[in-house]
Amino acid sequence: MSSSRNPLKDKVAIAGAATTGFTPHNTERSHASLAAEACIKVIRECGLTAADIDGICGSNPSAPMVQSMLGIPEVTWFANLPIPFVNQVATASAAVAAGLAEVVLAYHTPYRLPWNTANSLKDPFRRGGMGMGPGPGPDTVAGAVGYTAWASRYMYEYGAKKEHFGYVALNGRANAARNPAAAMREPLTMDDYLSARMIRWPLCLLDMDVPVDGADAFIITTAERARDLKLPPALVHAAVLGMIDHNEEEQTPALRDHGQRVVVETLKAKSDIGLDGVDVYFPYDGFSFITLSWLEMVGYCGPGEAGAFLEANRDPATGRVLINGRVPMNPHGGALSEGGTQGSGHIREAVHQLQGLAGERQTPDARTALVTAGGFFFNAQGLVLRKG
Amino acid sequence: MVSDEDLVGKFPGQSLDRDNAAHFRGRLERRLLINRCEACGLWRHPPKPVCPRCWSSSVRPTEVAGTGTIHLLIFLHQGPPAEGVDYSKPYPVATVELDEQPGLRFTGAVMGAPNDAIAIGERVRLDWIERAGAPLPIFRLAEEGRR
Ligand SMILES: [Zn+2]
Repeated sequence: MSSSRNPLKDKVAIAGAATTGFTPHNTERSHASLAAEACIKVIRECGLTAADIDGICGSNPSAPMVQSMLGIPEVTWFANLPIPFVNQVATASAAVAAGLAEVVLAYHTPYRLPWNTANSLKDPFRRGGMGMGPGPGPDTVAGAVGYTAWASRYMYEYGAKKEHFGYVALNGRANAARNPAAAMREPLTMDDYLSARMIRWPLCLLDMDVPVDGADAFIITTAERARDLKLPPALVHAAVLGMIDHNEEEQTPALRDHGQRVVVETLKAKSDIGLDGVDVYFPYDGFSFITLSWLEMVGYCGPGEAGAFLEANRDPATGRVLINGRVPMNPHGGALSEGGTQGSGHIREAVHQLQGLAGERQTPDARTALVTAGGFFFNAQGLVLRKG
Repeated sequence: MVSDEDLVGKFPGQSLDRDNAAHFRGRLERRLLINRCEACGLWRHPPKPVCPRCWSSSVRPTEVAGTGTIHLLIFLHQGPPAEGVDYSKPYPVATVELDEQPGLRFTGAVMGAPNDAIAIGERVRLDWIERAGAPLPIFRLAEEGRR
């Protein structure tokens, strides 16, 4: 059951967010060097030093490695957690609120590896034993394939068209053109989308996020401490990681009954801000279909209506979506065009929008950002951030 | 009975453990075994050591009829290497809702039918092929067509 209990509300802030930017090919850099660049950048931008950090929370590389690499003298709490990145933000925020640490360095380093691109195998330093022995074979919908399987069910139940998925890809690409950190910035037309290589019907190459090298890093601290730092804070208003018992891809009960349902019910219970109060929206788009589902689940439109909703809320000339003429959707380009950041890019851009640091992508007077990260099964997440 | 060591060796790439070993032993005899709770009758897949409804640990791998309806369906235009699969014709993989219980599903390839005849909602029946030295459960369209 979704509890309205939320002692964390507005007590903790993201004080800064920084990125290396993302590239869609194998760089000559290590995982650690990308993490180091983003971490050093965010610490400096906040006006902090290594000695101010007393907590570390990330994905890869490990927290002990990051501490040693950056010479952070002492920490009192650290964790390495599975992505998507709302997990790191929620857990670090809880650690700060509880007093386990006061200033947490949080980071994620998307990296091209055999699990997300076979091209990584051309780099001997990326093989790492993966992609060698026999896998489980093709006779499964487990893992990322599960989204393709439920996309086919979505088309079957609602008569959705391929163009509906394409609207998500075109919005991302149009927005990425204004984001210097994005990996994919060349213009994309619906004809390009519809003729893209089919990977797993009904999803093609452009329905799937682009594997990148890069890193995002964040400083998470108390709201009071954040107000004394150099950048305007973004307050953590509500966070949730939602999951139901039938969380295997093939056993998930229905299109509207999975982790996203729990996320939305919980955000409604915990947040003071309704959908009308959201100024900029970040639905996850690791697969285009996930965005269609989020739009319906959060309540912008009814079941099966996301395609028509996007059609009515997009500029056909640019492909850019502006919900109700006002709310941009993934203004940084999302996972499909900025790069597959497993949510860290969505959260970084949400922070920058609330800080007024989003450059030509800036949403006028953005006060509330909604991030709905991840998919259906074991990684649906929600995060509401407010301008401090 | 095949030894644990030989059983694991028969299914390279699959993650075998004490909870799903009986399911894979069933495959060697071309029997599709799904866990069923002896206390409350609930079917549940993939295999787990307890029943999620009544927490009984008397969960018995039980043969299913193998008939059902396609619930999810994809066509792989590329995919992992597998004996006898070259993806020149997109490879259909279906999640089938089994007749034993609403929501109880099992996933496998659909074989022996043109791709344009395979669709969500079609009735299928279980069959077996040999792949890489072990039986593999697959589905074929049922003769009677739609339910
Ligand atoms: Zn039971």
